[in-house]
Amino acid sequence: MNWLLALPALLLMALVFGWPLLRYGWLSMHASSVLTGLEPVPNQGANWIRLLEDPRFWQDAVQTLRFGAVSVGLEIVLALAMALLLDQRWRGRGVVRALSLLPWALPTTMMALGWRWIFNTPYGPLEQFAQAAGVAPLNLLSNPDWTWFATVMADVWKTTPFITLLLLAGLQTIPDDLYSAFRLEGGKTRQAITAITLPLLTPYILISILFRTAQAAGVFDLIQVLTGGGPAGSTESIAQYAYLNAMRFLDFGYSATVMLAGFLLLSLVIFTAALLLQSSGLFRPLKS
Amino acid sequence: MNRSRPLWIALLLMWSLLPMLWQLITSFTSGDALVNSDIPFQQRWTLAHYRELLSGDPPFWRYLLNSCLVGAVSTLLTLLLAVPSAYGIARMSQASRRSIRTVVGAAALFPYVLLFLALLELAREFQLGNNLLAIALPYAGLALPLALLLLISAFEGLPNELDDAARLEGLGLLDRLRWVLMPLIAPATASTGILVFLFAWNEYPIALTWLSRDDLLTLPVAMARIAGSSIYAVPYGAYAAATVLGSLPLLALVLLCQRQIVAGLTNGAVKG
Repeated sequence: MNWLLALPALLLMALVFGWPLLRYGWLSMHASSVLTGLEPVPNQGANWIRLLEDPRFWQDAVQTLRFGAVSVGLEIVLALAMALLLDQRWRGRGVVRALSLLPWALPTTMMALGWRWIFNTPYGPLEQFAQAAGVAPLNLLSNPDWTWFATVMADVWKTTPFITLLLLAGLQTIPDDLYSAFRLEGGKTRQAITAITLPLLTPYILISILFRTAQAAGVFDLIQVLTGGGPAGSTESIAQYAYLNAMRFLDFGYSATVMLAGFLLLSLVIFTAALLLQSSGLFRPLKS
Repeated sequence: MNRSRPLWIALLLMWSLLPMLWQLITSFTSGDALVNSDIPFQQRWTLAHYRELLSGDPPFWRYLLNSCLVGAVSTLLTLLLAVPSAYGIARMSQASRRSIRTVVGAAALFPYVLLFLALLELAREFQLGNNLLAIALPYAGLALPLALLLLISAFEGLPNELDDAARLEGLGLLDRLRWVLMPLIAPATASTGILVFLFAWNEYPIALTWLSRDDLLTLPVAMARIAGSSIYAVPYGAYAAATVLGSLPLLALVLLCQRQIVAGLTNGAVKG
């Protein structure tokens, strides 16, 4: 009876998450492109060999990793500061918390458009500012060395509130008594952060990192609208390359290979990180 | 920290709100004033961007309506599937519960954008493209992991005796769910519903590939399309007006339902 109740939802999930992975596994062993008249023809792993030798895929993999690592790192630091601020008691805290949540709620494509205008050369506010300071032009969206950082900034702006909420929930589980005891023992307020707050917050920080890393690995909307992968492919992500392969080059076999490879790379990153954490003993389960 | 707190609060608010305020200001600034800072202050303002947007073909409110419909249907479908399922799972043995949780948690982490190609094939196969009701199917599937995690936790929080007592009273399964358990998990259901709605409202890659007819686009796709195909030299005034109109319903929702959203997000990530 319990299984009967659970079944419809689990079936739909299996269809939406499980079927694509099986299908990609099959498609990645076939040529299915304009050359084959969009019909799948077995090609004995040629897609995978092509992938291994495809500099664009590996460049995109490195860029995706760089985007994820830098933005998640910045987000954690920033969110920690925000959560510490919002955890204190002061008047108007609820309103400020609600307002600071707004960037997270807006559709990514919408704010990506907004950032395109803010980063615009020469009319955007940042560029105007730089002009006044005498360092223009910044070319935030057309300089292959910098533009990736513009995407990081837009992502940090949008997703930091989400991590802030998680860390805030963690902070609220730490009893005030701990801090009082620490002060009675003669500890300084500043030391309390490293002695009490950070160790007890570690599981929440790790969960945030896990969650955000997985999301960042699939970054698509933001880059698609903000830079389109440019300039000179310097911000293109794996998901975007897979999208291009399917929708523009109409090479479904290779697109499936790229997506599967992206998924395997992500699993590898998460798995390695989990192993490292386990051996370092940092991780303690949330519910004991 | 105490003395410098107002400064930090001000910084936090500026960081969060200035980019949005800039869009608001831009949306009321005339196209000429955007590219020419010498135009005097009084002559910089205009409503033209909004007028243009609302008289477009299709008019902008069409996309708002589409997004509302997709959001509402997806939310309803997700809850309809997730509530009974979570109830069933919460009453399973410890071992089955743990393995289901692991699978569902992994699905919640999965970067779903990678699924678009296979889902698009399904849409073609079963002719579900360009159908605002059909797109609720993948949306419900994608939102189910989070919904299940939240609702399983909620059901597990209820004492078993309650269910047993209701059964002794002779209530059937559906009656127990409807009259005894649903009222108790209403807060969790509300949180879940709002988060699913937000997901459906903001979703881009699936909508981009499933919907192509001009009058059926949802907001995120319409926005991206406005960005890609504009005939104006510097069309940022029109963009900005579109972002303002598209954001208003969402901002209202978030400010009104802040509490449920916060509860849902934290429970979903922490307990899951």
